[in-house]
Amino acid sequence: MAFWIELLISGLVAGLVIGLSALSITLVFGIARFPNAATGDTMTVGAYGALLGHRATNSLLVGGLTGAIAGAIVGFLGYWFIFRKLAQRSNVALLVASIGLAFVLRAILGVSFGHSQQVFQLPLVRPWRIGDVPVHPNDLVLAGACATILAIVFAILHLTPIGRRMRAVADDPALARVSGISPSSVMTVLWLLAGAVSASAGIVAGIKTVVSPEMGWDLLLPAFAAAIVGGIGSPVGAVVAGLLIGVVQEMATPLVGFTYKIALSFLLMLVVLLVRPRGLFGKLEGAR
Amino acid sequence: MEAYLIAILIVTAIYVLLSLGLTLQYGLTGLINFGHVGFFCIGAYAAAILSTAGSMPIAVGLVAGMLLAGLAAIPIGLVALRLRDDYFAIVTLGFSETVRLVITSEGWLTKGVQGIPGIPKLIDGVGTGPALMILALVGFANILAVIAFLRIVKSPFGRMIEAIRDNEDAVKALGKDPARFKIQVLVLGAVLAGLSGGFYAHYIGYVSPDQFLPIVTFYVWMAIIMGGVGRISGALVGTLLLMGFLEGSRFLRDLLPFISAVEMASIRIGAVGLALILFTIYRPQGLMGDYTRRK
Repeated sequence: MAFWIELLISGLVAGLVIGLSALSITLVFGIARFPNAATGDTMTVGAYGALLGHRATNSLLVGGLTGAIAGAIVGFLGYWFIFRKLAQRSNVALLVASIGLAFVLRAILGVSFGHSQQVFQLPLVRPWRIGDVPVHPNDLVLAGACATILAIVFAILHLTPIGRRMRAVADDPALARVSGISPSSVMTVLWLLAGAVSASAGIVAGIKTVVSPEMGWDLLLPAFAAAIVGGIGSPVGAVVAGLLIGVVQEMATPLVGFTYKIALSFLLMLVVLLVRPRGLFGKLEGAR
Repeated sequence: MEAYLIAILIVTAIYVLLSLGLTLQYGLTGLINFGHVGFFCIGAYAAAILSTAGSMPIAVGLVAGMLLAGLAAIPIGLVALRLRDDYFAIVTLGFSETVRLVITSEGWLTKGVQGIPGIPKLIDGVGTGPALMILALVGFANILAVIAFLRIVKSPFGRMIEAIRDNEDAVKALGKDPARFKIQVLVLGAVLAGLSGGFYAHYIGYVSPDQFLPIVTFYVWMAIIMGGVGRISGALVGTLLLMGFLEGSRFLRDLLPFISAVEMASIRIGAVGLALILFTIYRPQGLMGDYTRRK
């Protein structure tokens, strides 16, 4: 029993990473209307940013902020130099360009930091024992940080004027436009936010495992899967589906083996697309 | 030098089959296949396994690879019919990664990460003679594929798939069922990719999972986007450019020895990315294309 609870906990932590990255994808998909394949590599940018910040100051908080700011900058630059120019084109053009951006980011990181895996040098902490179950204090800190990030994102979306405008554009871009909502300010905030959120997902993934130039690309498929399972355009759905996929993957590992756990998210995504294309929380009219 | 030129031409011809398949799927029909390498991989492994462990003749392995790749495209096609194009892109990307996971995990069949060495050559022997024969063989397959392609474009089938690309709703309104055509196109493209994979396995003589990373798919995308989407000349020119780029980056490392091999790999990925971005923004019709209608 303790074994399964341990898996459940590590699944929840993995799920936070997937949920955050899916949140970034779903925000972009809802407002800019294309699946942003550069999300994974923006995560990597965040992880390296945090690694540098952490090394320089030895503070995880400063590191995390550095990473998130780096991610936000990358998100904005991607919008300004690429996606802004493709705004009137089909989603295929945007998708292909986002793949291109993903490769460019990975190449820059690979050349600057090398391909060897790096780790956050954190002090070892003895896990607490609750009953038979070991609980790592670091996991709790990470979970707390993720919860804070989610709270900030939802507060921006639901409590601020710019958040209200973003939701209006997501709902109906034409109506938002005639209501006098300027697309460029909405887009700027969107990309800053999406970049910072993906970066924080990458930071958590980097702290939990290792940092390498390929890490983000490898996390991209589960993130897409969670965004789709949760219902494209639904921030709550993305987070819930991320947690769900994380837990399913970890709990299934003893049954299907380590390599196939990645395929599980793909399978889950296929089933949802075929059976309930709007996902768990998607809007009824959302086209598939 | 001569041997090197022939070698490059053979690899180019193998890639042309991939480009033609993708041109059929994306250029003509508008299906965003981000999992092309998955079909390529199936063809390569079928040829490799049948000709080594199965000790079958090479031709059997090639045909089996084409059939298996085509068969794998059917379930993907059935899913595709129900999805919007960008979702389809994600699903196919997931498909190719799943194929790679399966060949990595099922070691009893595929020898896992170690890969399968010692795949027999298409034509035995060393030197220019056999190499030219291989080139002729792969080139012949290319010519057949191009002829088939031209016939498809001029046929009612070709007009139908281009109509699906341009306006699927109009096609439906005319009482035609785009679903059937999409599946056929996917299967055709996958068969080409499977054949390409078979040739590749027999030419390189060794297959392992890390030869079938998603980057291969995007090499092919880069080729057709540079050349011009939806045109045979675009697929050919684009593939030549791609080869020039891949080989050129190898020479660049000879000239600039301070760049390490892994750095070069990064630079190559970055260049692919940059090409995808710049062509999408500034020259969506590609070098050969006058196809300005397509956005």
